[in-house]
Amino acid sequence: MPDGKPNFTGLWEALGTANWDIRDHSAQTGPFIQLGATGAMPAGQGIVEGGEIPYTPEAAAQQKENLKNRMKLDPEIKCYMPGIPRANYMPFPFQITQSQRDIAFAYEYATSNRVVNMGKFKEGAVDSWMGTSNGHWEGDTLVVDVSSLNGNSWFDRSGNFQTEDTHVVERFKLADADHMNYEATIDDKTIYTRPWKISTVIYRRKEKNAQLNEFKCVPFTEELIYGDLKKK
Amino acid sequence: MRHLVCISALGVMAAMAFGQAPSGETKPAPATKSWNQPKTPWGDPDLQGTWTGDDCIGTPLQRPVKFGDRLYLTEQELAEREANREKTEHSDLEQVVAPGQAATIGGPEHWMERSRRPCKQTSLIVDPRDGRLPDILPEAKTRHVGAGAIVSDPKADSWEDFDYYIRCITRGVVGSILPVIYGNGQQIVQGKGFVTILQEMVHEARVIPLDGRPHAGPNIRSFMGDARGHWEGNTLVVETTNFVGNTTGVNGNGGGTPTSDALTLTERYTRTGPNEMRYELTVDDPKTFVRPYKVLLPLTEEPGYRNYEYACHEGNYGMFNSLSGARAKEKKAAAAAAAAKN
Repeated sequence: MPDGKPNFTGLWEALGTANWDIRDHSAQTGPFIQLGATGAMPAGQGIVEGGEIPYTPEAAAQQKENLKNRMKLDPEIKCYMPGIPRANYMPFPFQITQSQRDIAFAYEYATSNRVVNMGKFKEGAVDSWMGTSNGHWEGDTLVVDVSSLNGNSWFDRSGNFQTEDTHVVERFKLADADHMNYEATIDDKTIYTRPWKISTVIYRRKEKNAQLNEFKCVPFTEELIYGDLKKK
Repeated sequence: MRHLVCISALGVMAAMAFGQAPSGETKPAPATKSWNQPKTPWGDPDLQGTWTGDDCIGTPLQRPVKFGDRLYLTEQELAEREANREKTEHSDLEQVVAPGQAATIGGPEHWMERSRRPCKQTSLIVDPRDGRLPDILPEAKTRHVGAGAIVSDPKADSWEDFDYYIRCITRGVVGSILPVIYGNGQQIVQGKGFVTILQEMVHEARVIPLDGRPHAGPNIRSFMGDARGHWEGNTLVVETTNFVGNTTGVNGNGGGTPTSDALTLTERYTRTGPNEMRYELTVDDPKTFVRPYKVLLPLTEEPGYRNYEYACHEGNYGMFNSLSGARAKEKKAAAAAAAAKN
């Protein structure tokens, strides 16, 4: 970039299975048995540094409860906005548009998006699904402070969760033109005993015709959400 | 967050100078004197900011017949529009729901976004010359139009009886730009090779590649279409195709006759001053309208105006309530019928 900053503009996508569980996990039957092998959960290395999320005992019990009821509770199933950091490692691409000022993230899943304010720090006016993002550069690293999250988002399909007190600090750093290292430090004294960190690699989509497509998923969920209210 | 948007808007109203009038119908807009189009560091015209069509809130898409072929208001008509605008500005500051009174379905007036200066046009459609929508083809008239927000007792057998906006899916490209009562923000962010336009309602993000690549294949269809952009001088030209047909129309909030899969939209964004943009749109849908037509409106950037997250589907109690209300009514009617029989 003319201003000497690395250029993140383009289409990116994480690989791996963190959207199933951000911790280490074995392959297993999926939540919806009719889908057979196509709906099964693949094995994968977790993205949590040190392996475990430092939940308080109550929060650890809550996560297990979430997992048990995930068909009802996982916001992804209902096409709710994924929140941060989950949006970055879902199995969908996202487009970064990096200007000389602000930086836009457009996520394919649920047409969710956010604009990272690179100017003077702005407090979130109100809690929201995608939070309020304030960014700055530390050398070549884009550091994004995410606050005012509404606490309804999960980290994955396994019930790992956050609250409205969760604070996320993300670090995006190019490893080369087509790979970036993504890290996020997550802090929330109400459910974790200490701050913890996730880290993964996000890849630039290189296919000649790769582009952000549209995944407006509301129509895929209406039967599930409102079906019992339909006229018989 | 409509409240916050409106409060911040009111605060700056008094400080705002009048915007530049749009120029003639089809000629390119002359740049404001002593203003040069700023460029991004990589040399593209810089259109960035959060823009709204708020000034033309209330200006009809189609021209009232009494104006004939006249696009611009006379001085006197403009003064009347300004007087009305000022009156609204004052009434917004007053408490509209007295204690003990119920709010209407529309919500209190201060929820609304308002124009800061009167729109000079008699209609948003500028071509055909009479400012009216071209005739609609017979087949297009048979397309299903879901119930919108202003239908007070809609058929509610299923969510499919409602329009795509009420279902929190989308208002479509045109419905996301034409100004309505609130949520009119369009934030433009530019990167090398891309322009991204983020619209508050319903959290749209149009990613527009500028590298001259062809459109996506014809089997890839979407509500917001497949956009490709290029520069003509300082004007951003965006051509959007690959729409899924029969979803949204091209009126405010995506209302009106749903367009077809043959729709092509051509938009021209020209910044005409530090806070002013000329927005021109050509709607060409040979399966819906007998001829293409053109829309023109000014977009402005207002200090303090910003987009908020419009999490619509996540809290769509309206859909729950409409459907469960309809089922409760049926149950009541069935019970009454059974009682009458006995």
